[in-house]
Amino acid sequence: MAENESWRRDSEEDEDDDERDESYYGSQKNAVIFAIEVSPSMLASPPPSDDKKADTDSPAIAALKCAYQLMQQRIISNPKDMMGVLLFGTEKSKFQDEANTSGVISYPHCYLLNDLDVPSAEDVKALRNLLEDDNNSEEVLQPSEEKATMANMLFCANQIFTTRAPNFGSRKLLIITDNDDPHPNDKDASQSAAVRAKDLYDLGVIIELFPISRPDHEFDLIKFYDDIRYRDPEQTDIDALGMTGHQDHKAGGKDGISLLNSLLSDINAKQVAKRALFSNMPFEIGPGFKISVKGYNILQKQAPARSTYIYVDGEQAQIAVGETTKQDENTQKTVEKVEIKKAYKFGNEQVLFTPEEQKQMKDFGPPGIRILGFKPQSMLPNWASMKKATFIFPSEDGYVGSTRVFSALWQKLLKDKKMGIAWFIARSNATPVLVAILPSSEKMDSNTNQQVIPQGLWLYQLPFVDDLRQPPEILKPLVSPDNLIDAMRKIVQQLQLPKAEYDPSKYPNPALQWHYKILQAMALEEEIPSIPEDKTIPKYRQIDKRAGEYALLWMGALELASRSGPTRKREAMDENSGSAAPKKRIKVEPKDETSLFDMSLKTLRGVVEGETLSKHTVAELKALCTAKGLASTGKKADLVDRIEQWVEGQD
Amino acid sequence: MSDKQATIYIVDLGATMKDCHNGRIETDLDFAMRYVWDKITTTMAASRKTWQLGVIGLRTDDTNVPLDDDDGYEHISVLKDLGPMEMSHLRSLQRSLDNEKIDKNEGGDATSAIALAVDMINKGTTNAKGVPLKFERKIILVTDGRGDIDGDEAYLSGLSKQINEANITLIVVGVDFDDPDYGYKEEDKDTKKADNEALLKSLAEECYGSVFGTMAEAVEDLAVPRLKSTRPYSTFKGKLTLGNPEKYELTAVSIDVERYFRTKSAKPPSASSYVTRSDTGASVQSSNTVEDTDMHDITAAGGDLSSVKTSYAYKVKDETSTLGWKHVDRDDLEKGYEYGSTAVHIAASDENVTKLETFQSFSIIGFIPWEKYERYLNMGESCVTIAQQTNDRAQLALSSLIHALFETESYAVARIVAKDGKDPIIVLLAPSIEPHLECLIDVPLPFAEDIRPYRFPPLDRVITTTGAVLDKHRNLPTHDLKEAMGKYVDAMDLSNLGRNDDDERTEYMTIEETYSPLIHRMDQTIRRRAITSDETVGPPADILLKWAQPPEELVAASSSQLEALVEAADVKRVLPKTKGKRKGRDTITPLSGLDIESLLNSQKRLKISAENAIPEFKQMLQNSETEETIEYAADQMGVIIRGLVSKSTGNTEYDRAIENMKVMRDQSIKYDLVEKYNDFLRDLKSKIAKEELNGDRREFWFQAVKQNRLGLIDDETIPTSTVSPQEAREFFSIKSELPDRSKAA
Repeated sequence: MAENESWRRDSEEDEDDDERDESYYGSQKNAVIFAIEVSPSMLASPPPSDDKKADTDSPAIAALKCAYQLMQQRIISNPKDMMGVLLFGTEKSKFQDEANTSGVISYPHCYLLNDLDVPSAEDVKALRNLLEDDNNSEEVLQPSEEKATMANMLFCANQIFTTRAPNFGSRKLLIITDNDDPHPNDKDASQSAAVRAKDLYDLGVIIELFPISRPDHEFDLIKFYDDIRYRDPEQTDIDALGMTGHQDHKAGGKDGISLLNSLLSDINAKQVAKRALFSNMPFEIGPGFKISVKGYNILQKQAPARSTYIYVDGEQAQIAVGETTKQDENTQKTVEKVEIKKAYKFGNEQVLFTPEEQKQMKDFGPPGIRILGFKPQSMLPNWASMKKATFIFPSEDGYVGSTRVFSALWQKLLKDKKMGIAWFIARSNATPVLVAILPSSEKMDSNTNQQVIPQGLWLYQLPFVDDLRQPPEILKPLVSPDNLIDAMRKIVQQLQLPKAEYDPSKYPNPALQWHYKILQAMALEEEIPSIPEDKTIPKYRQIDKRAGEYALLWMGALELASRSGPTRKREAMDENSGSAAPKKRIKVEPKDETSLFDMSLKTLRGVVEGETLSKHTVAELKALCTAKGLASTGKKADLVDRIEQWVEGQD
Repeated sequence: MSDKQATIYIVDLGATMKDCHNGRIETDLDFAMRYVWDKITTTMAASRKTWQLGVIGLRTDDTNVPLDDDDGYEHISVLKDLGPMEMSHLRSLQRSLDNEKIDKNEGGDATSAIALAVDMINKGTTNAKGVPLKFERKIILVTDGRGDIDGDEAYLSGLSKQINEANITLIVVGVDFDDPDYGYKEEDKDTKKADNEALLKSLAEECYGSVFGTMAEAVEDLAVPRLKSTRPYSTFKGKLTLGNPEKYELTAVSIDVERYFRTKSAKPPSASSYVTRSDTGASVQSSNTVEDTDMHDITAAGGDLSSVKTSYAYKVKDETSTLGWKHVDRDDLEKGYEYGSTAVHIAASDENVTKLETFQSFSIIGFIPWEKYERYLNMGESCVTIAQQTNDRAQLALSSLIHALFETESYAVARIVAKDGKDPIIVLLAPSIEPHLECLIDVPLPFAEDIRPYRFPPLDRVITTTGAVLDKHRNLPTHDLKEAMGKYVDAMDLSNLGRNDDDERTEYMTIEETYSPLIHRMDQTIRRRAITSDETVGPPADILLKWAQPPEELVAASSSQLEALVEAADVKRVLPKTKGKRKGRDTITPLSGLDIESLLNSQKRLKISAENAIPEFKQMLQNSETEETIEYAADQMGVIIRGLVSKSTGNTEYDRAIENMKVMRDQSIKYDLVEKYNDFLRDLKSKIAKEELNGDRREFWFQAVKQNRLGLIDDETIPTSTVSPQEAREFFSIKSELPDRSKAA
């Protein structure tokens, strides 16, 4: 494992700084242990219900299913992460394989179902067997007469983390239980649990609690759990606020959200530490006026892992670990890193620079975000897109008061639909880029009511002129006649996506899912599925049903228009060679004084006074409203009114 | 832009070029060569074999022309034949310029040199039958106009006819030539120069597309970065569909379209790795077969270089080996994937089994209103989709979709598979209507897996641990702060700060004005280095840093708003900690506030156990009252770490030992136990060097000290240290007292 890392790091250093992005930060890994209490109440099935959506799983089974699903999910999204499942309160006791333990320590009524490790196909299978095979589960999921002591369970987790994941960046113990008072009337036992919890805290392990309330019993944190949980030391003050708040999970609830789903989404959000892409980044709002922010990769393209080399001659197929060495091409001698020089190909030869000069050449100053000014968001063209944006959030690390300033800026940008324009250097010697700073308002998942998009700002990279590509030279376009546009408009109106939005959670990446589905089937020696599930394929039947009729009309209109097409084209060509621009319903003529958008205030005032404003199209009026920060909704008359008022107010 | 270029530079090397004029401190030749070198190195940097250039010296001492009869071509020398330009040419060209002992001789007619250049281009750009090939042809004359020029009109009109027939563009750039457009007029110009200028100007006017300009303008333009031209790249040619034409043939909409890149990240030149060749043996080339065509032997200013290649070795776990692993041959390995920690072998015949089978398609999933999409969800570069050019029906159909989207203020969401077998992606299609182009612009959208479930607290309210919602808090802006921020943002408005060509107010800093600082910096520096290898790397050109700062006039105009904002914000810088502290520790309590410290104290852990070393070590330091306990704690950690290393089979316990060391180091900084840690490390090093920790543990040293940076604590980290950063760095290397075994493998 460690050697694997060292090899990886070397090869990374050779790559350009910019490519480091995720892989570099990925060297911090996560380890998660699910600790699930096994007790008669945790195993009790919910009362039968007529509601189809009602839970049929006992809390313990729901928790195990949750672990099972997350394990499969993590293998895809974070293949280097470790996961373990520990049951406590079981009749049977089981710890790591004897060879691994120091021998003497044992943890009664703790059953280590999956040892903490990068999950293997076997681990996934073991969990599935437990869930599917009743005999098996009855044997393991047998509550003990005598309770497991919490101190014991916590120390057991401590030992698992210490031995299996000693230097993982983030380690979390997820406790899922419905018992808010494990040691009633036993002060000693409670106190030793508190001590063991402090050990975990000092070890750097974070305890996340997922309490389950029953219809007849609300989970009370004060009784025990507040004594063993700490504020996350990694999070800043503001981060901790509002984030320690927990969600109660209801067993046998009838509110439509099953315990499993409620656990899944909550655990999914908490199991992994939010890892900052950069911390304590100076954010210069004005010359000399700085606050500090952290950056996060909320967006990260997930792709199937690359294939690796496998050694199949041994008893079990295993992954071969690659090691690279640099060699002199001529002498085949191993070359040390310090000996390597960098050169650029130029005129069939090499132009040489020392490493210092290389650095100097790429040096544009220290990391930071520097605001150059502000523009309306409407000045950001649709095509000005380069790469995923980085989310930034205030931190008090560098400047006390950053949060309130950040909040004020965010509120202003959101309210006035403005954006900041900034010069941004992400790390020392990183390529400087220009970014638009865009505000986001909070978005919730309508099903789980969990946050999907937080409030904050995004660094949205702008293209440089070097990054622009031009489409091929083309003839002046043929413009569709109005009746054809009208026909198409009906189709567009018929086929809005649900809730009139693009909800990414509805579209899993079909290629990624298929890759892992096949791999999983092969790894688990299951039957290989033959038909992939692809939720990105349009719903053809619905399209036909909802818009078919209009599509027929449109095709009729198109047929007519294209028959008279050649004449139109000649017109268009003639116009191309001189005379007036073709008649269009929407004029988007840059620098045209008849276009509202480009008019000076004076000309605009003339238009208003001459009462010819209503001769302009709705689109033009709307564009003008947006540009001037006015509301762009409503009927044409409203828009005209609004602009007139605005012009009058400009003295 | 044509794929092939043929350019001849005619450089005036006459004696008058070696003088300085009009207040410049460099010679006219050096001044002119700035322009010429820039042009030549730009061509070279492109590394295109089809970009040929030649150089003719005008008013040279010697005469060297590839003609049977050099009558009329005296004092003209071909310095470089028309062909690709390489470094060796550049150096020989530099030498010939330096060596040109410019004589008092006069003669060397610029128009003769042009005639020679025409001839060279004609010979170099026609095929065997003399048919001209597709080339972009250019002659660039650089002169001060002080030489003799034969002004015979018939000759000149013949020359211009020749130039036009050969389809050559003539560019005349003169040192201190008058140029009313640029706004330059040389005072007291001597009549000969004035005549020559007029003559060359009239020649240029006779030639199609020619340029006649003054050197100052050309040199000034050099600072403006030049863009690499790219050809339109089509990413998709096929049908954009709405509905399924196969299943619902009557109602499915289908439009023939083409899709092209709109933005594509331009990359700076990339460097390759070399080493200075260690052997001087001449036999090198013969003994090694060069595998990669790109790797040829190189000579450069730095001396003989040899390419570096990467070789791969593979190893697998092997319980039977004492090392715990063994090397395996690449040929014994098969392809496969990792599923968690399980290796899934995929037989060569099933290679594509995990690949989703896809077919080229571009189909609309549905529509969403403009205001329901947030730009920050864009995942990457944009493309444009236009209708098939020769297809009226498609043009009308796409136009109706574009206009319908515009009128309903909608975007389309579509699924695209660019080519058979490519992974599907989802894109957002936005309408764009301009007089000369109607198109759909698309950007990629995230899939479900691409959004991470990171959660953040709100910014407009504060929620306490008990769940109460506050609207007043030190983390929330006051009314004053909001007000001040609003005014500042409005004052720093860029939307009306720029000026267009007609000097009207427009948007400041449009994308078309922003050059990539890195690409052009590197391009300029590399070209500079190619001509002058002894010059140091200079600072970036001003134009590249223009957008690194807010515009000065705006800053000046909004200074009062900024002042008000700074005051309302009341932000205080957090000063870095200067010294480790032992007193005034923070007490940490669980959420309930339970006094865990005294609980721990009552338990009195006296000895640190190896199993629970980190928590117990931290707690012992936290609760220690005497110096002795602190040192005792550190000593015990040392014992535990050495114990872990000693008992490790291979590297099994290294990670754990390293984690203990990391904590020990951090705490030593915190509690000012620097010497204690440094002593421990020195002792550890000597024990490893002597192999006293149960065998060869240098791998541990490498991992701990080098990779995890757990070396000596230096006085930069903490002032009380007696170790300098230099010393700490040197301490890394471990001189083995034993024979080196690692290289044997």
